[in-house]
Amino acid sequence: MAQNRTGDARGSRAPIESKLERMGDALEQGEALLEILHDDDVFERELERIFATNWVYVGHESEIPEEGDYRQRYIGKDPFIFVRDENGEVQVLWDSCRHRGAKVCRAEKGNTTHFRCPYHGWTYRNTGELIGVPRKGDGFPELDVEEKGLHAAPNVDSYNGLVFASLDPDAPDLETYLGPSKWYLDLYFELADMEVIGDPHRWEIDTDWKTPAENFYGDNYHVPMGHKSAIDVGIGSETAKGEKESELYAISEVGGHAFSIYQIPDEDFFWGHPPEVIETFHPDRLTDDQYRVARQSGVSLGTIFPNLSFIYLGGSDDPDKDTVGTFCLRQWQPIEPGKMEAWNWIMVPKDAPQEYKDRVYEVGVGTFSLSGNFEVDDIGIWDGIPEAADSVFAERVNATTVFSMGRGEGTVAEVDESWPGPGTVYREGGMTDENQLEFYRKWHRTMTEDR
Amino acid sequence: MWELEANSLRESCENFLYREAQLLDDRDLLEWHETLITDDVEYRVPVRTTKERSAETEFSEESFHMIEDWGSLKVRVERMENDFAWSEDPPSRNRRFVSNVRVADEDPDAGEVSIRSNLLVHRLRANDTEPDLLSAERRDTLRRVDGSWRLADRTVLLDHTVVGTPSLSIIL
Repeated sequence: MAQNRTGDARGSRAPIESKLERMGDALEQGEALLEILHDDDVFERELERIFATNWVYVGHESEIPEEGDYRQRYIGKDPFIFVRDENGEVQVLWDSCRHRGAKVCRAEKGNTTHFRCPYHGWTYRNTGELIGVPRKGDGFPELDVEEKGLHAAPNVDSYNGLVFASLDPDAPDLETYLGPSKWYLDLYFELADMEVIGDPHRWEIDTDWKTPAENFYGDNYHVPMGHKSAIDVGIGSETAKGEKESELYAISEVGGHAFSIYQIPDEDFFWGHPPEVIETFHPDRLTDDQYRVARQSGVSLGTIFPNLSFIYLGGSDDPDKDTVGTFCLRQWQPIEPGKMEAWNWIMVPKDAPQEYKDRVYEVGVGTFSLSGNFEVDDIGIWDGIPEAADSVFAERVNATTVFSMGRGEGTVAEVDESWPGPGTVYREGGMTDENQLEFYRKWHRTMTEDR
Repeated sequence: MWELEANSLRESCENFLYREAQLLDDRDLLEWHETLITDDVEYRVPVRTTKERSAETEFSEESFHMIEDWGSLKVRVERMENDFAWSEDPPSRNRRFVSNVRVADEDPDAGEVSIRSNLLVHRLRANDTEPDLLSAERRDTLRRVDGSWRLADRTVLLDHTVVGTPSLSIIL
C-alpha cells in the first residue's frame, strides 16, 4: 500500500499531484523529474493507470503451441494464466479462485485440461469455465456456475503471435493502440515468422521499470561509455564497433512508442542474418519501402509503451565467430518502487536451421541476458538511480534528468523528411532525446488525464 | 592412480574445487581460464522454471543463463578485466562455499571423473548489508591434464527460477 507521508511531524514530502505537475513543467523544458523513479504514490498510480489500462504484453503464441499449454504471467503485479484452451483459443485468465481467492495455477508452465483449486477443489476448464464445485448440490444449490468462471482480462488481442491484454474494458483495440508503430513491427514480425526459444530469463533489479523502458526508447548515447568493455573485447554489432558505415535513425510519434534503426546503405544486412536464413523471409508481406529498410537494417531497438522492449542485434559473443541476428524481447515488470523484474525472451526466425537457432541463442545469452556482456553493465549503472530519486534533496532542488540533447544551434540530429516510414524521424538519431521524451510525455499524459 | 597428494579420489577433487573457488573469489579470472579449464570445456547454467512435481525436470534443455565454451569464457574473462566493466567496478565481493562433494562416476581410461557438489555464493555489492545468495548444485567432469585436474564440463543447477542478483558478471 502507498504510504501516506502527509502525517509526518517533521514535515512532509510533496503529494503526487505536485510531483506530476512539476513533471509536466520539466517536460516542457526537455527534462523529467527524478523523483518519479522511486516514489510509493507514483508507483501505486502506475499500477492503476499505466498497467491496468494500457495494452500490456503477456506472451508469445509459440510459448503455448498445444491445446492446454499454459504459462504464468503478470500484468503489472497482477497474476494471470496465459493458456491455449481446449478449443485452441488463447485465454488470459486471472489466477484467483472465485471461491476464496487462492491461486489455481501453481506452476510456471505446463499443460492441463483443468485448473483445480487445492483449497476446496473448485475446478475450472482451461477456458476459465467453472465446472466443478464439491458438494454443490447440498452446499451451494443456488450458485450459478456460469457466473463464477475465472475472471478473464477484458481485452485480449494479438499481433503476429505477440499477445497483449488490457484490463480496461473501454480500451481502444490493439491495432489502434499500436497505430503507426505497426509499420516498424512488421519489419521484425511480418517479414519472418518469429518464435520464442524455450523459457525467459527472469531476474530482479533494484531500479525502476521506467529506466530501462526509457533507455530502450532510444538511448543510443550511452553505448560508447556504458558498453565500452564489451566493445573493447570485440563483440556486439559491426555498427557499434564502427566496422560498417551506417546511419542511425530515431523514430518517434508513432502512437507513443519509439524505435531506433541503424541503416547500412546499399547492403543486404538484415540484422546480420546469413543468406540461408534471409531466403526463408517473406518480402511479399512488406511494402517496397519497408523491405528496403529491413534489408539495410543493422542494430534495431524500440519499446512499445509501457514496458515491452526489444533489441535486434547483428553481432556475436566471440570475435572469432560469425555474426548472427539475435532478437531479444524484454519486459520490465514493476515489483515495488525502485525495483523491477526483467523478463528476456530470445527469438529466432521459425524457418531458420536448428544449428543457426542454437547460435542465435548463445549470442543472445552472451550479449543481452542476466549474464550478457552488454546487459550487465547497464544494470551495474542503473541500480544507483533509485537511491538518488528517493532523496529528500531531490525534491528540495527539484532534481531533473536532462533530455534536451539535439535541441539548439549546432546540434547534428535533424529531421529526415525523406524517410519512407511514419513518425518523426531524426538522422544522427543517437544525438537526440526526442524518443525518450516521447516515453515520458505518454507516461505523464496517462498519469494525469481525466478518467 | 588418482591420488596426488590426497588420500582419496574425492579429496583430490575437493582440492581442485577449493583451489578453483579461491581463484574465483580472488578474481584471478585469467589464471582460472588459463589453468583450470580444458580447451574443449562445456559450461552451462540452465534456466529453471517452477513445475508440478510430476514433471521430469524443472531445468530447460533449451534455455540458459550461461552457455559457454573456451572462447566465449575468454571473452567474458577479458571483459571483466577491462577498466570500463561497470558491473564489477567496484567489484562485487563473492565467497564460494563448496560442500557435499560426491564422486558420481569415474572413467580411468579417459582420465575423467564426474563429481557433484553443492555451491553457495555469498555476494555483497558496494555497501550492501544483505547479501545476494546464489544456491546451486554443480555437476562437473574433471579431466587429468599433465598431472592436474582441469574442468572439462560443468552444469550449474540453480535453485532459483527468478534470480535474485542483478547481474551474473561472475563465474559460478
